[in-house]
Amino acid sequence: MTGADQALGRGLAVALGRAGADVGLLAGDLDEIAGAAADVEDVGARATRLAAVFETRPEVEAVFVEAARALGPVDIVVHTAVDPVAVESAPLADLDEDRWEAIWEGTMRSSLLCCQAAFTQMAGRGGRIIFSTPTVSMSGAAGLVAYTAAVEGQRLLAKSAARQWGSQGITVNCVAPAPAAGGVDETGGRAHLPLNPPPLGGPGDPETDLGPVVVFLASDAGHFVTGATISLDGGVWMAP
Amino acid sequence: MSGFLEGRSAIVTGAGQGVGRGIALALAGAGANVVIAARRAETGEPVAEEIRDRDGSALCVQTDVTVRADVEAAVAATVERFGGLEIMVHNAFGGRAGRSHRLEDVDDGMWRGFSRTAVWGSFYCAQLAFPHLRAAGRRGRLVLVTSPAGIEGSANIPIYAPVKAAQRAMTKSLAREWAEHGITVNCIAPVAETPALLGAFEANPDLRERVTARVPLGRIGDAERDIGSVVVFLAGDGSSYVTGQTVVCDGGSFTGL
Repeated sequence: MTGADQALGRGLAVALGRAGADVGLLAGDLDEIAGAAADVEDVGARATRLAAVFETRPEVEAVFVEAARALGPVDIVVHTAVDPVAVESAPLADLDEDRWEAIWEGTMRSSLLCCQAAFTQMAGRGGRIIFSTPTVSMSGAAGLVAYTAAVEGQRLLAKSAARQWGSQGITVNCVAPAPAAGGVDETGGRAHLPLNPPPLGGPGDPETDLGPVVVFLASDAGHFVTGATISLDGGVWMAP
Repeated sequence: MSGFLEGRSAIVTGAGQGVGRGIALALAGAGANVVIAARRAETGEPVAEEIRDRDGSALCVQTDVTVRADVEAAVAATVERFGGLEIMVHNAFGGRAGRSHRLEDVDDGMWRGFSRTAVWGSFYCAQLAFPHLRAAGRRGRLVLVTSPAGIEGSANIPIYAPVKAAQRAMTKSLAREWAEHGITVNCIAPVAETPALLGAFEANPDLRERVTARVPLGRIGDAERDIGSVVVFLAGDGSSYVTGQTVVCDGGSFTGL
């Protein structure tokens, strides 16, 4: 579980732990995931904390090897990590190259490295890769051009990976939480997000509302679902 | 030449060949002044010449869309020569698009090849055109050329899909962000006869039949008549209330939107 230092990753980790998975918790700062580890252990699963910054392939591959050494073969990778810089709202006219690099390239680099390291662990054995891709990439959002580009990039990386790695028994899917559940500030309506209220309420609790769907995708029951995006926003975004 | 884009100016990146050339010819045919922004002048100049031979108005500016200063210069040349910029079309793609690869083998250099032209190029084109599109008011248009692969994913060229998808999300977000200025932002996702595709057909004679068989309309799009014509619509007043959309121009293959 990447992004285990955020509410979304922490909640999904607990849901997976409750379903019987041992969970490797990844974040930049180990101190920030002590609480998540305790939560996972409280529901009877094993947890291990791993520091990861997703900059280079050898580093990410090594973290995944470390996870396998601690907990056994890696069967499920859930990538929820998001750089807080990425979800800060700013008009395109004000974005400089460094910011574009950090948001677009940073998000895509971590996603690609995560996929590749997952593939190394799962090749020939099968597995599950699940991305969190907030619905803003499908709706678009003013002030979030670079971030929505990156999220849609993740969503299509997942589809390509699903097409290419399906023969290896690897499924790759996305769950799309409400923007607020994914850490996005909705900027008081200036983002011009869809106005529909969530029929089921929102934004949803990561562990109890979103967790069961991630558990399903990660389980044997989800074996025939790949390349899909499941909206988990309480019913705001209903396309297609 | 007269047409409903008379008096408006357009930049088309990657206009030296293929889809970009078709778009440039179609826009010029509708009366727009067209800047052929091509990475190589030896491909761009003949297209500008072709437009002038048809009594259209065109200028070739050598432009590498991965270089910010190049895009800046193309915009400046357009404004200087034609007095404004109403229509920015980013079509260029140089990322070895046809080469199949495995996702597990992708390294940073290969990724950047795809990312720089499609995504950074879109960033530069959008940001540098913006002041002029805003000044054009309700006539300001940004059109990004994406691909059906950016919607469906790709088993053969997996990282082509995320960079093309990123352009779709940029389109949706910019449509919302620039709506207050009356600027519309849309994508097209074409399948057309391009030099790359024709080259692939030559190398693999069965391929044309297999590709064509997937197209309900039974033929592969012509860059000017089938694709350029859609951009002409998106560039004109008739599409003023269409924004944030992807128009898939592929003869009916992909119907998932």
